[in-house]
Amino acid sequence: MDGRGSLSSILNLRFEWGKRLLQGWRVVRHFIYGLTGYEFARYAVETRHELESIFMIVTLGDLIGVPVLPPIYSLRLLPYVASEIGMWKRCLARRKEFWEREEYDLHGI
Amino acid sequence: MAYTRYARRIDRNVIQSDPKRATPAVLYMDGVDFMPTNRNILFGYHFKSIAAAGPIVGAIVAGSLWGWFPALVWLVLGVSFMGWASDYSAIVISVRNEGNSLSAVAHRLVSPRTRTLLFFFIFFYLLLLSGAFVGIMAQVMDSQPRTNLGMIVLVGMGLLLGQMLYRWRLGLLPATLITVGIVLLAILTGSFTEGMFKGLNEFLNSLTGGAPIVTYFDPTLAGFKGAEAKIMPSLLFWAIAICIFCYAGSVLPIWRMAQPVVYVGFWITALAMILGLLGASLGTLIKPEVAQFQIPAFKGWNPQLGPAGIMPLWPMLFVTIACGAISGWHALFGSVGTARQIENEADMLPVGAGSMFAEFLLGLLALLAVSVGAKGGSPVATFANGLGSFISVWGLPIEYATSLAFAAFIVIVLVVTQLIFRVMRVTLTEWLGEIMPPLRNQHLASLISVALAILLVLTGTWIYLWQLFGGANQLMAALSLLLVTVWLVSLGKSWVFAGLPMIFMYLTTVASILITAYNLYFNVTIPNIRAGRVLPVVGSGLMVLMAILLVMAALFIGVDGWRAFLKYRKRPSASPQAAPARG
Repeated sequence: MDGRGSLSSILNLRFEWGKRLLQGWRVVRHFIYGLTGYEFARYAVETRHELESIFMIVTLGDLIGVPVLPPIYSLRLLPYVASEIGMWKRCLARRKEFWEREEYDLHGI
Repeated sequence: MAYTRYARRIDRNVIQSDPKRATPAVLYMDGVDFMPTNRNILFGYHFKSIAAAGPIVGAIVAGSLWGWFPALVWLVLGVSFMGWASDYSAIVISVRNEGNSLSAVAHRLVSPRTRTLLFFFIFFYLLLLSGAFVGIMAQVMDSQPRTNLGMIVLVGMGLLLGQMLYRWRLGLLPATLITVGIVLLAILTGSFTEGMFKGLNEFLNSLTGGAPIVTYFDPTLAGFKGAEAKIMPSLLFWAIAICIFCYAGSVLPIWRMAQPVVYVGFWITALAMILGLLGASLGTLIKPEVAQFQIPAFKGWNPQLGPAGIMPLWPMLFVTIACGAISGWHALFGSVGTARQIENEADMLPVGAGSMFAEFLLGLLALLAVSVGAKGGSPVATFANGLGSFISVWGLPIEYATSLAFAAFIVIVLVVTQLIFRVMRVTLTEWLGEIMPPLRNQHLASLISVALAILLVLTGTWIYLWQLFGGANQLMAALSLLLVTVWLVSLGKSWVFAGLPMIFMYLTTVASILITAYNLYFNVTIPNIRAGRVLPVVGSGLMVLMAILLVMAALFIGVDGWRAFLKYRKRPSASPQAAPARG
């Protein structure tokens, strides 16, 4: 093996090690995030979800039999929320009562 | 070895986890509850959710009663053959059943009454746990006034952190540095306020002229021979203060109190544990005097606990050490909290089993602290002195290191206890809310839970509370394994990896609960009846009743499970189809 070949294999080796180190660091970072900040992020998402759910009830409540806004406004808003409708209806279907407040941290029970 | 050779084999050959099969998180993604999450993040999240005071308290008590060797053997064998299987299979059963909780799967797979029995079971086992934890914390805060400032500041900083993050929109890093830094400072300088809290305790005790509120017979005193003990007004004060904190944690929105207090507490505990673990590893080289075994490897098969008590190694050791070896709480949480976020079936093993093995390490550290660094005193003081010795390897003066160790212990118990009351409130509502509508009120449900816990604290017998809780907790793990066994049989798969641990844990835990009821009756109820003391008799009588009810609930669930097992064994295809997830 000439000098260039061995240098390239060393560089490759270092590159491999570097990749593994980076991968290891990413795993550690994710683990620490799971231990620390993840719950806050989840809570923020839950809050947004609750607000969006209220918005959907107010604007498209007639889809579940709760007419709040006149249908003309619902129709005008429809293109903006169409992608959310399926998820929203599924969430409401999982509630015992539609005014029930979700406590996601207690779903284990 | 257990992970790479045994667990992986089960995952590959029995469960046949398939990375290409869609999980409930992917199928029902709602961006909130069902949300595919990276496996490393989920590993951290699951580990934090299951790692609490269990592996620490259990190892401390077991090391003190039977010596460090039996405790070590159970920790290793328990996690290798049962603990990981319980945690992992609870996640698997939920993932393969549309993200349903264990009680929902039990309702469908075993019988409708099993769900109600599980609610009953869960409520009482949480009540036992809350009673044990509030009792332990009140005793530490009453007898170690230097830790009190740290705890009060912790609660204040938790509230501040919630405000900073959710209202003032401050970044997580600066908010963490400020709040955790202030709490650490308060813990380390707690000795300066020791006199003030001592004065407060003396003032409270002088209100009754130095007379105790309750006198009771405590079988754990005088080297486990038993002696008279007193509950002074100061202890009741701290117990009530802890309960007020837990009540607030139960009824306030989670962002306001429970979540930020847990977060700040996590950093304090993690710091103490990491420093302690590294200190223990380096102790033999840097400071050999902290690495001397202080308690014997083996103390006996049936150590004395009270004048008439029996404490046989089987079954009592197996319930005294719960979470480090196997735990029902993990199954309960994993089946929904984690299972609904599993992105890929290949993640079920590293997240479920991996977290259990990580928790085992926590139990190992606690056992090491109590057996190597012990300096005598109560089990909690022994642990704190041991952990303090390990931390002192880093040059921190021993009194500060011990303060940090005490605080780490109380913090981990405190943050868990407030969550327990939160779960108790919901369980009570789910269990009895239909037939007693006032229980749907969160304040009433929380107040009932708190009042029952205080009643248990006033009996003063936390060690029995702990063992009853351990029995109930391990029984919960056995019931979870029972469900998994029935489910595996219904699919025509090999059920041995879940079924054998289930049989062992079921028999062990039922036996241990009956022995604890026997001990309670002869060690606590009878001596207190003879002395004419009402409250300890009522409290211990309540515990005996709870033990009997728990055993009866377990027997009913066991019979239903056995019937379902036989039914599916004859006709594996009879397994009903999964229903969409709900709660």
